[in-house]
Amino acid sequence: MIIHSVVPLELVFENYEQNGRQNIRELTFPGGVTMLVEETGSFEGTIVRLISPNPQDYLNPRLAPGQKIRFRPDFS
Amino acid sequence: MPNTPVNEYLNKTSLGPNQPPDTPPPHPPVTPPQPPAAPPQPPDMAPGDDPKKRVLDTISQLGQTNVPQLDSNIYCLSIIGQVEGHIQLPPQNKTTKYEHIIPQLVAAEQNAKVEGILCILNTVGGDVEAGLAIAEMIASLSKPVVTLVLGGGHSIGVPIAVAGNYSFIAETATMTIHPIRLTGLVIGVPQTFEYLDKMQDRVVSFVARNSKISEQQFRDLMMATGQLTRDIGTNVIGSDAVKYGLIDEVGGLGNALKKLNELIEKKRAEQQVIQQ
Repeated sequence: MIIHSVVPLELVFENYEQNGRQNIRELTFPGGVTMLVEETGSFEGTIVRLISPNPQDYLNPRLAPGQKIRFRPDFS
Repeated sequence: MPNTPVNEYLNKTSLGPNQPPDTPPPHPPVTPPQPPAAPPQPPDMAPGDDPKKRVLDTISQLGQTNVPQLDSNIYCLSIIGQVEGHIQLPPQNKTTKYEHIIPQLVAAEQNAKVEGILCILNTVGGDVEAGLAIAEMIASLSKPVVTLVLGGGHSIGVPIAVAGNYSFIAETATMTIHPIRLTGLVIGVPQTFEYLDKMQDRVVSFVARNSKISEQQFRDLMMATGQLTRDIGTNVIGSDAVKYGLIDEVGGLGNALKKLNELIEKKRAEQQVIQQ
């Protein structure tokens, strides 16, 4: 892998050992909206970032970063 | 024995003479899961005291919101921060992951409702392979794609910026064109000059193929000295990018959407001609 970036490599790879230690989970809801959620408790969290190619999702105030959501694993 | 609570219970529920024998067998496997799920909802919805809470409930119960949405015929692809490829970058990097982008592009190509794609870039570069993969995917889409560089489209962001059918750059946005080898890092591969040179050729030829800049001029910009403090290369700002032929036009979001709608109209007209 080659990193081609204007950011110096020592900055890109700083805190490499911190990888995976954050409480951030990536959740996808059946509507197709993926979001990064910071877990604040069991099955609840705060939206950190919304990842959706549909621009209308960003107008939905309930999916705005900072909103609290509850979720439940669905294995069906 | 016959008087134990278990037997009593069994007698009452399934074997008891009070209950009709026909109803229990067909019902339990199919219908009971539904009635408990459906009836609680209407009473919850009817009072309507706290719509926010109601949506929270639907998110947690059904995994989706019932928000009336406008259907957009434009797919918005944002490429921000580092383009992340095979190695997960540390948490202080804001990254665009190619495992997010590539399925999105496949879905956009396949979905009949999507008529055009707007790709917004504000990236500092990143993984060469992932960047080129995204650029190739964008270039090979059959639907019109307009790219817009806002802020920065540096390093491996350059091929992505030129991959669309038409490209815009904001007046204040910059693109840094510099060679791969000076800041490159190869993990697990012998870092030879030839290897990196080949890698760089892939980027140069892609940019030359997809924009109006010539391969030679792009190489000249890449190897220019005295422009960047830590590296050789050129920092191209807004109108300069247009002057070199790298980007088609200086403009913002309004221009980009207008152009995309024009391209969509053109495509529709072409398809109508084919159908007739």
